[in-house]
Amino acid sequence: MIDFSMYDQKEPKISAYKCQKCGSLYYPAPMVCSKCNTRRDPETNKGWETFDLEGPCTLLSWTRLWNLPEGYTKKNMLFGIVEFENGLRASGQLEVDDPKTGMSLHSTVIESNERPGNPVKVFLFTE
Amino acid sequence: MANVGIVGIGHTKFGNSSEYDLSDVMAYAATDALEDAHFLARRKEVDQVVVGNMASGLFCHQSAVASALVSRMDMEPVPAELVENGPASGASAIKIGYMAVASGMADIVLVVGGEVMRKVTGWLGTDYVATMLHTDAEYNMGLTLPGFGGMFTRMYMERYGMTERDLALLAVKNHANGAKNKYAHIQAPCTIEAIADGPDASVVNTYVAEPLRMYSTCPVSDGAAALLLVNMDSPKAKDFPKKPIRIAGIASATDTHCVHNRKDPLMLNAVRISAEKAYAMASLKPSDISFAELHDAFSILEFAISEEVGFFERGKSFLAVRKGETNIDGKMPINTSGGLKSKGHPVGATGVSQAVELVRQLRGEAEKGRQVHNPKYGMSVNFGGFGNNVVALICAKE
Repeated sequence: MIDFSMYDQKEPKISAYKCQKCGSLYYPAPMVCSKCNTRRDPETNKGWETFDLEGPCTLLSWTRLWNLPEGYTKKNMLFGIVEFENGLRASGQLEVDDPKTGMSLHSTVIESNERPGNPVKVFLFTE
Repeated sequence: MANVGIVGIGHTKFGNSSEYDLSDVMAYAATDALEDAHFLARRKEVDQVVVGNMASGLFCHQSAVASALVSRMDMEPVPAELVENGPASGASAIKIGYMAVASGMADIVLVVGGEVMRKVTGWLGTDYVATMLHTDAEYNMGLTLPGFGGMFTRMYMERYGMTERDLALLAVKNHANGAKNKYAHIQAPCTIEAIADGPDASVVNTYVAEPLRMYSTCPVSDGAAALLLVNMDSPKAKDFPKKPIRIAGIASATDTHCVHNRKDPLMLNAVRISAEKAYAMASLKPSDISFAELHDAFSILEFAISEEVGFFERGKSFLAVRKGETNIDGKMPINTSGGLKSKGHPVGATGVSQAVELVRQLRGEAEKGRQVHNPKYGMSVNFGGFGNNVVALICAKE
C-alpha cells in the first residue's frame, strides 16, 4: 500500500499551550509555567497540552505599516494585536477594510513566504 | 563600592558614515574621549575597554569589534569585551564599565558605543533591527519596531486623548534642540505648520506606521560615542584635569519579550523598575532631576517614558509638552540634544551618546541656546527591544 499522506493539504496551525498541573495558558510556548513552575520539555511536551490558537478574537490595537522590511512587495500592510476568548493574545496580520479597535475578528493561520528562507506560519485576522 | 566618575567624553557627528569602517568610527569617538581627559598618550594605562554594539555582524559583516577597536587605537594589551543589548547596548556597556570600576577590578575604563547601519538598504536595516523581536510570534508575522511603535501610539491616543498634532509638537521641540547640537544627524528645525497644520503637512510628514508619521520616527544613523570612567576614590583620579561627573545611579530591568504578553501593553515596566532602582541608588526622586535624555526612537516613547520615570502623571505628559514644560527653559527639559529624533539613533551608540549629553549639560558645555540653566542631576533612559530591556542612568555634578 502506497502512503499518499505526504500529498495531503495540511492546514497550517499555530499551537498554544496549557499547563496540566495548574491550567495556565500560554502563547508562545513557555519553558517554565510562570504560575506553578512546571517545566516544559519541547521534545516530549510531558505535562503540557497543546491546542490550536484560532477563532473569534477582539482587536486591541492596529497599524498600517508603510516601511515593510526586505522581501515584502506590497506598498503597505495592516498588523494588529488581538485577544482570544480564552484571554490569550497574539500579534499578526490584519485584513479588514476599516479597522477599529475593539472590533470582533476571526483568526486563522496562513503560510507566508515573503521573507527569504522557509515559509513561516502567520496569524491572519479577518472579519 | 567605589565612586565612579566620567572624566572624558567623545562623540562623532551622527549621520551617514557608511564609507567608513565601524572600528574607525568608534576609534574616532574613543580618541575624542581620551583627548578630552588628557589621557591619550597614556591610553595603555586604561584597565578595561567595554564596547556597546547591537548588530555589526548584520550591518557591517564584521564581528569581534571590541578587539578591532583596541588594535585601531594601539591600545594592546588592554582587555576589551563587547556588550550586546539591542538598542540599549550603549547604556549596558556603561553599566558593565561602572561595575568594573565600582567593584575595584578596574580604576580606568573606556566605554565606547557605536553602530554603522547605513551600509545596507533601509529595507534590510528595518529587517535587521526587527530580529530583536520574538522570532515566531512577532518577527515571522512581518512585524517591525515601527509597527509596534504605531500600535502603541494608537493605544495611547485612544486611552488618553493625545493627538497626532501632539506628536508633531514633540518633533518641533526636539528638532529645535538638535539644530543647535554639533553632533546631531539632522541639524534643521521644523515648524508645526510644515509637519501638522499646513496644507502640505500630510505630504511632508507621511505615515510610517499609522498613526506614527515620519517626524515621529527617528532616522537611521551611523555614529559612535565614548566615555572615560575613573574610580573617583583612587589616587589616579587626580591625574584628570576636568572635574568628574559622578554616576549617581545606574540600573536596568527586563520585561516580556512579546509585547502582547504584557498585562497592559501601555505599561513600560522595565522603564519604571530601572528608573526606581536608579533613583534609589542615587538617593534621589524624580523632582530632583534637572533634565533628561529619553529614548524617543518613536515620539510616543518620550511621552510614555517621561511618565514611567515619574516626571508627569500617566497620560498627562503631552499636556506638559503643549505648555512648553519640556523645552530647554521649561520645568523639565527633555531631549536637550535633539533626542533620537533629531540627533539620530545609531543603535549601539545611543546609550553612550545620551550619557555624553548629560556630561556636556552638567559641565555647562552645551551650545548656546540649548544649555540648561545650572543643572545638578541629569537622567537618561536607553530603551532596548520594544521596552523589554531598559537601562536608566543618573549623573550628578559634584
